[in-house]
Amino acid sequence: MGRHGRTAIFFFGAIVLFFFLGGSAGAGLKITYRLKWLINMSTVGDILADGMGFFKQAGLDVEIKAGGPERDAIRELELGYADFGAASADQVILASAKGAPVVVVAQLFQANPLQWIYFKDAVRLDSPSDLKGKRIGVTFGKNDEIIMRTLLARAGITEDQVALESVRLDYTPFYKRQVDLWPVYANTQAVEIGRRLTQAGERIGFFDPGDYGVRFVANSVVTSQRLLAENPELVRRFITALMQGWRAALDPANTETAISQVRRYDPDTAVDLLRAQLEATRRLIRPEGGAPVGRIDLPAWEQTEQIMLACGQIAKPVKVAARLRSMVGE
Amino acid sequence: MLLRRIYQFLLIYALGLAGLLAVKYLAGLSDYVIPGFGALWRTGGEVTGRYAGDVLDTLGVAVVGQVVSVLLALVIGILGRQTTWFGSFIKVAAYNVQAYPIVAIAPIIFILLGDGFLSRLIIAAMICYFPLLLAVVGIMSEPVTDIEHFYRQTGRMRWQLEVKIRAFENLSKLTTVVSGSATLAMAGTIVAEFIAAGAGIGYSIRIALYQSDLAKILVALFMIGITLSVYQGMLERAGQMVKQVWAR
Repeated sequence: MGRHGRTAIFFFGAIVLFFFLGGSAGAGLKITYRLKWLINMSTVGDILADGMGFFKQAGLDVEIKAGGPERDAIRELELGYADFGAASADQVILASAKGAPVVVVAQLFQANPLQWIYFKDAVRLDSPSDLKGKRIGVTFGKNDEIIMRTLLARAGITEDQVALESVRLDYTPFYKRQVDLWPVYANTQAVEIGRRLTQAGERIGFFDPGDYGVRFVANSVVTSQRLLAENPELVRRFITALMQGWRAALDPANTETAISQVRRYDPDTAVDLLRAQLEATRRLIRPEGGAPVGRIDLPAWEQTEQIMLACGQIAKPVKVAARLRSMVGE
Repeated sequence: MLLRRIYQFLLIYALGLAGLLAVKYLAGLSDYVIPGFGALWRTGGEVTGRYAGDVLDTLGVAVVGQVVSVLLALVIGILGRQTTWFGSFIKVAAYNVQAYPIVAIAPIIFILLGDGFLSRLIIAAMICYFPLLLAVVGIMSEPVTDIEHFYRQTGRMRWQLEVKIRAFENLSKLTTVVSGSATLAMAGTIVAEFIAAGAGIGYSIRIALYQSDLAKILVALFMIGITLSVYQGMLERAGQMVKQVWAR
């Protein structure tokens, strides 16, 4: 090799080294976090953990990926496409029943946001037994179907005494009053639709399964058993930073920051609506009795497992308590 | 031909399944990510009967959608074969309209017409229709010079005769296009059901997706594949019979 060749290799090596060091300088450990749904006010704490620099302070470079109906965080954990994810309790229990090595490290929603909206002038609901004879919207295959079937079973209402109607994201059948009760999320759709209908002079109500003792756990943070076993410190760092984000979301002093951060991903929702959604989200996240944000509600998880067992969603108990490893410093 | 279609499908399905199971066991994945053979067998036993009904429901819509598409494509294709302004307009319109992705149009159809039979039929017909139209226009626009020249010179050429000559000379192509469009019609109906309908195998696949149940989806794919193979085989057989009758 001639002198020119050696010089070229030296410069090439120097350039590669420069970009390698330059690229890695200041960057944290790469982590992928798969959300359960699209980024909206339900994910405000996740977004603040990133936007307010809590992940960075923990030495983590977290890529938050939006979820959706075709995304499944638990599958991605097992396939190695994600390190952490958000999943509902029914997903965790179903996956556990099929041998997925998943663990729950924090519980984001302390109350399930799922409720049913109805027109008060057409429907009177004082107890679950009033559901008899109603046309009730459910998403067949999703947890609202399981929750509604549980409510009906507890009220002693058989399937032929109600009409369960298949619903999607189009609310027209509800607006046209072809369906009496329509499933909504209390902190997002309920705020938006509720406001629109109220402004139009309608009197609306919300039927909350939680009021009748059905505690079906919603979004929680999950990771793989392997990551927890091999690097518990990393899991702790991630959860600590994430919970800082959620605590910040609960703090009224951060209201404007929270709204502006969520608006980066959800620019179509008006600011005043986002403000109302943030308030509703705070009520779902804040644990009772001064417990830390992200605490795992064991009785609620056990009840969720019992409900799924009773509905035939799982063939035998999965002993879900063994899958819960709280990392929020209770 | 029918049997060949069926065993070809079974071979492809078995190969695909073997590939999935190989990945599962080599990578040590749980039944949640890829169901094992036992889980598949169990699920098959549980849902095959129900899914068979769903697939037949979907096939019914697909067949009607395909018939509508074929008739419409023949009418428009015959009109569009001419080298007139109208013929050229139809060709350009067909190319342009098929560029719209059906998933963008489907929600509008469902909002306007609800999630019943008609919405599924329209979407199935739309997905099936445009490729059919392009093929029919292409076939009908191509003169069969040797034969047509004789009739033109003797002054006996009429539009019906022109269409008949071109159809007869391209019967194999037409049969293949019609048979192939069965897949499109079925796919269109399944897409429609998956997006918003409340019945059919596409709807069942969506529910299985909500339940993260890949075993159900694999069973559904099997049912769709086997049904489609039988239907396509029957169409091909019908095409052969038409050809034999015309050749007499």
